[in-house]
Amino acid sequence: MGGWFYVKICCFIVFLVIVPGLCAGEWKQADGERRWSFPADHGSHGEYRTEWWYFTGNLGDASGKKYGYQLTFFRHSLRERPRDPNNPWSVRDVYLAHYAITDASNNTFHYTDRASRKGPGLAGADAHKMNVNVLGWSAAMDKNTIRLKAYFEGMELKLDLTPQKPPVLHGRHGLSKKGPLPGQASYYYSFTDLKTTGYLKRPGMKNQVAVTGTSWFDQEFGSNQLSGDQAGWDWFALHLSDGRDLMIYKLRKKDGSIEKESAGTLVEPDGTSRQINLSGIEMTVLAYWKSQKTGGRYPAGWRIRIPSAGVDVTVKPLVANQELANTVSAGITYWEGAVDGAGTSNGKSIKAQGYVELTGYAGTIGGTF
Amino acid sequence: MKRVIRSFLRYLARRKSLAILQLLGIAFGVAAAVGMTLASRSALDSMENAVDFLRGGSTHTIKRPAGPMEEGLLQKIVDDPSIKFFAPVIDRKVRLASGGEVRLLGLDPFLDKNVRSITTQIASAANSAGREKILQSFLLDPRTVIIDENVARAGNIAAGQDLMTMQGPLKVVQVFSNPSGEPLVIMDIGNAQEFFRMAGHIDRADLVVNDEEGLRQRWSRGFIIESNQQKAQTLSALLGAFKLNLQALSLLALFVGIFLIYNTAMFTVVSRRRDAGILLSIGASRGQVTLAFLVEVLLFGITGGALGGIMGYFLSKFLVQIVGGTISTLYFFLRPSALPWTFWNIAGGILLGSAASIVGSLPPLLELRRIQPVQVLRGRTASRRAGRRTKIVGLAGLFCLALALVLFLLSFLNVYIGFAGAFAFLLGASLFSGFVIIIAVPFLKRLFSSVIGLTGKIAIGNIRENLGRTSVAVAAFMIALSMSIGLASMIDSFRHSLIWWMNGQLRGEAYISTKADVTVPEEVYDELKKIPGIGGIDVFRNVQITFRDRPAGITSIDSAVLQKYARFGWLSGSDRAWEDVKRGDVIISESFSLRFKVKAGDRITIDTAQGPSTLRIAGVYYDYASEHGVIMMDRSLYLKLFNDRTINSLGIFIDGPELEKGRILDKARQLSLKYGLPFATREQFHRRILGIFDSTFAVTQSMRIIAVIVAFFGIAGALMTLFVERQKEFGIYRALGFTTGDVAKITIAESIGLGLISFFMSTVVGTIFAFILIRVINRQSFNWTIFYHLTPQPYLVTFLTAIAASIAACAYPVWSVIRKYPIMQIREE
Repeated sequence: MGGWFYVKICCFIVFLVIVPGLCAGEWKQADGERRWSFPADHGSHGEYRTEWWYFTGNLGDASGKKYGYQLTFFRHSLRERPRDPNNPWSVRDVYLAHYAITDASNNTFHYTDRASRKGPGLAGADAHKMNVNVLGWSAAMDKNTIRLKAYFEGMELKLDLTPQKPPVLHGRHGLSKKGPLPGQASYYYSFTDLKTTGYLKRPGMKNQVAVTGTSWFDQEFGSNQLSGDQAGWDWFALHLSDGRDLMIYKLRKKDGSIEKESAGTLVEPDGTSRQINLSGIEMTVLAYWKSQKTGGRYPAGWRIRIPSAGVDVTVKPLVANQELANTVSAGITYWEGAVDGAGTSNGKSIKAQGYVELTGYAGTIGGTF
Repeated sequence: MKRVIRSFLRYLARRKSLAILQLLGIAFGVAAAVGMTLASRSALDSMENAVDFLRGGSTHTIKRPAGPMEEGLLQKIVDDPSIKFFAPVIDRKVRLASGGEVRLLGLDPFLDKNVRSITTQIASAANSAGREKILQSFLLDPRTVIIDENVARAGNIAAGQDLMTMQGPLKVVQVFSNPSGEPLVIMDIGNAQEFFRMAGHIDRADLVVNDEEGLRQRWSRGFIIESNQQKAQTLSALLGAFKLNLQALSLLALFVGIFLIYNTAMFTVVSRRRDAGILLSIGASRGQVTLAFLVEVLLFGITGGALGGIMGYFLSKFLVQIVGGTISTLYFFLRPSALPWTFWNIAGGILLGSAASIVGSLPPLLELRRIQPVQVLRGRTASRRAGRRTKIVGLAGLFCLALALVLFLLSFLNVYIGFAGAFAFLLGASLFSGFVIIIAVPFLKRLFSSVIGLTGKIAIGNIRENLGRTSVAVAAFMIALSMSIGLASMIDSFRHSLIWWMNGQLRGEAYISTKADVTVPEEVYDELKKIPGIGGIDVFRNVQITFRDRPAGITSIDSAVLQKYARFGWLSGSDRAWEDVKRGDVIISESFSLRFKVKAGDRITIDTAQGPSTLRIAGVYYDYASEHGVIMMDRSLYLKLFNDRTINSLGIFIDGPELEKGRILDKARQLSLKYGLPFATREQFHRRILGIFDSTFAVTQSMRIIAVIVAFFGIAGALMTLFVERQKEFGIYRALGFTTGDVAKITIAESIGLGLISFFMSTVVGTIFAFILIRVINRQSFNWTIFYHLTPQPYLVTFLTAIAASIAACAYPVWSVIRKYPIMQIREE
C-alpha cells in the first residue's frame, strides 16, 4: 500500500504529476483480473506506469534488542520509450529508494533516500525476476531467497528473506481498488511472512550485528493515481504470533470521511487469505505524537478489532519519532515505523509486531522540490 | 610653537596652486600603489569564490589523466564504500553564434543535487504547472538548457527563447541565478553527451568522499583523484606566473608612487628654506622649525594619502576588469568584482602617503638643521655643496647597481630576488641623476645657446646651479620614463618572438577550431581526409595534466605532418627529433624543460590511463603556448597511452598551387560550417593569437599609462616648486633687461632641458630595464626565452611624453611669470 504514497513523492522528484497526460504515452491500466505468474511477476512491469517493491521488517539480535527496517524501491515512467534507446541516460523510468533503520534499544531512527534514472547501470529493475537496484541498494531474488543490500554512512543492511507462505493476492485476485472510478486501482500482492536473517548496523554502532526476524514484502503496480479528494492514508502490516498476518489500509478523504474502498486482508498460518471490507474493521486511536520538526500530529497507538476474524490487538510505535522528513523529496513528509503490541486472536493471547505508514498528517503533499 | 606652525601653514594658503599640485603628486603616487594592489587582490579573491560555487559540497574529483572517462566506471563508483555521493559532469565550452564561448555543463539533476545546488534551482520559481513542464522538458527534450542570468543578459534571452550557438539553437526553459558571475549553460547529461557527440563518456565525476586513503588506493592506476585543496592549488599554480606579474606591477606602482611622494615632500621642504631661515633668525628654535616642517609634511601626507586611497579604490575598479579579462582569456573564466569599499583604503593611503612623505622630507630636514639662517636668507638657495654631494650620492648609486647585479646572479633561487634586483637597479640608476646632469649640462648649454641664444644658456645653467633640486626631479621623471620604455620594449620583443614562433610552428593554410575547448568530432577529420589535394592534416589535441604535482600540458600532433611542414625553433635537438617522435619519443617545450629541470635525452614518467609510463625526450623547442610546459607526442602514442580520441583542432596543409589552395580551403570551410566549427585561415589565426597577446598585456599597458601620469605630476610639481622658489631671479632678469618673453623662454628651456636629460637617461636605463624584464623576470616567472628586439616606437613615444610633460609642467609658471613678474618682482628687489 505504502507505494501509492510514492507515486506522489516520485512525481515530485521527477516533477510531473497529477496532471495526467503530460507525458505522452498509453500505459496499461489496472482494471481487470490478472493472470499471475510467479516468479516472473516479481520482476518489473514496464507496461504500467508506476511500480514498487516494498520491504519492512521487525528484527532482533542475540541480546534481545529490537530493530526495524524499511527498504523500498520505486519505479515511475516518464515516457513509454526512451527518446534514444542507445543512450542509457535517455530517460524512460526514474527509480527511487527509501531506507530507514529503527533501533528500539536506544530509541533512534535513521533514514535516507536516493533517486536515479537507469543511466549506465546506476539503477533499474529486471523484467522477469526480482532484481531491482537504485545506486547500489538492491533487492534480488535468487531461487527462494530475496537478498537485500543497502549501505549509506554507517547505515548497513544485508538480509536474506525466505517466504514462509505463498504470495498473497489482495483485493479481487490481486486487483486492489483505491477509489470508485475504473483504473483507480493497482495490482497488489505480498509476501506477508518472510523469515529474515542477516546483518544490520546503524550509525553509532561499531560493528554490524547479526539479526533475525520477520519481514513483509509488497509489490504493487498500476498506471493511475489516487483521486484528488484524498488527504492521506493509514496502512498497517502486522504479524500476529499465532501465525496470522493482517494488512489494513484506510484512505482518508479531505472531508474527514474514509474512502469506501478502504479494506484489509487477513492471512491464515496456512497461507490462505480473505479480504476484509471497511465495515469489518474497527479502529480506535489511543495516543498521538507531535513532530517537533514538522509540526505534524500523528496517531501513535491503536486498538484494531476485526470481529469477523476474532482479532483484537493493540499496537504502538517502537520509537515515537519514525518520521521521514526533508529527504530527496524535500517538502514531503510521512511517518513509517515499526510497531508492536499484544491482544487476542481467536480468543488466544497473542503478540503482534509490524509496520505502520501514516501520510498526510504533516501538511498536504506539496511544497517545492 | 603654535605660532611657528601657523605661520608655516599660512604659506600654503598663499601658494594654493603649488599646494594643490603637491597634494595631487602624493595622491597619484598613493593611488597607483593602492589601485594596483587592490586590483590584483580582488582578482585572486574572486577566483576562490568562483571555484566555491561550482564545487558545491563535493570534496574530490575523479577523472582520467587526459580526456573523457568511460561512463561505465560510474557503476564502480556506486559500489565504492568511500564515496558518499557522486555526480557525473560533462564540462565543455560551446561557441555562441554571436561570438565568444560559454561554459556548458552536462549534469544529472538526480545525482547532482547531492553535490551542488545548481540543478535544484530548476523550475524553483515557476508555478506548479509551469514547473512540471520545464522539468519535463529539461530531462526529456534534446537541446534543452537552463542558462544563468549572465548568459541571459549578454544575449538578451528570456526563458522560452533560443540560445543560438555555432552548433545550432538551444531551447532555453529557464534562467537561473548564479552568484559566481561565470556565464553558465546547463544541460541534462544525456542530452549533453549527444550534443558533444561523446556517447558513452563523461568528463569527470565530482565526489563527496569520506575515506580519501581507501579511495586513492582503489583508483590508483589510470585515474586522477584531486581533492578540492589540490584543485585550488592547481588553479593557483596555473595563475602562478600571472600572479607574479601582477605583484610585480603592484610593486612597481608602489615604487613609482613612493618615489613621487618622496620627491614631492622633498620639494615641499626645500621650497620653504627661506621661511625657515626667517623663522630661525627671529628666534624660533631649530626644533620648532623642524617640527613645523614635519607638521606640514604630515598634513600633506595625510590629506594626499587619503585622497590617493579614494582615487586608488576607483582605479582598482577599472584595473580589476582588465585583470579579469586577461585571466579569462588565458586561463579560466573569472569575472572579479572590485573589493568592497572599506575604511582601510583611506587608512592605508594615509599610512603610505605620510610614511613616504616623512622619508622624502628627511634629507632636506637634516640639511636644514645644519645651515645658518643668514646663508638661507642670502637669496640664492642653490647649495654649492651640491657637487660634492652628487659624488656621494653617485657612490651610493654604484653600490645599488652592484647589489642589483648580485641579486640578478642569485635570481635563479627565487623570482622575488629578481624583483629586488630590478628595484635596486632602478634606485641605483636614479641616484646617478645628479651626475648625469653635471655631464650633460655642457652639451645642452651648447645646444640651447645655439638654438635660442643666451636665454638657453642661462636656462641650462640654472639646471646645474640648482643641482640639489633638479637631480631629484630628473630622477623621478627618469624612473617613470624608463618604466615606460622598459615595459614597452619588453612587450614589443615578446610580440616579435611570438610572431617568429607562430611563423615556424603554425604554418597550416587553415585551422578548423582553434580554441582548445571546442572539440572537433572525428567525422570531420575523416571527411577532411577525403578532400583531394590536401597535403597533410595535423590532428591537434591539448590536455592539461599534473606532472610532479604541478600543472603541465600534453599536446598530441601528427609528427609526420609537422616534420614535413612545420619549422620548429629548437633549443636542443633538431628536425631529426621528428623521427624519434614518430617512434614514440616526445619533445618538450622550453618552459617544461626549465620548470621541471629536464633536458633532451632524459626520461620522464607520466600518469596515463594505462598507469605510469616512461618516455624519452628527443628535443626541446621554443614555445610560447603555455608557461606551464608542454610534452608533445605523436597522436598514435597519445591514443595508446590515454585512450582519448578527442580532437581540439585540425591544421590543414596544402602543397598545390595558389588557385588550387583556394578551392580546397573553400571545401574545408564548408565542412567546418556544416559541423558548426570555427574556421580560420593562417592569417586569421595568427591575428587572433596576437589579439589575445595584446589583451594579455592590457594591465601592463595601463601600468605604463599610470607611470606616465605619475611622471607628469612628478615633473610638473618639481618644476613649479623650482620656479616658485626662484621668483626673485626672474625679477633680476627683468632688471637686467630681459623681456618677459625672455624670462618665459628661460623657464621653458629649463623645463625642456630637464625633460631631455630625463629622457636621455631613460633611454639607457629603460633599455637595461627591458633586458631585466626579459632575461630575469620573464624567464624566471614564465620560463621562456624572449628575444630582445629593438623597436624605435617606445623611445619615440617616451620622447614625446617627456617633451609634452616638460612643456605642460612649465605652463603655469610661465603664465604667472608673464602675469606677475614685471611689476611685483622688480619692486621687491
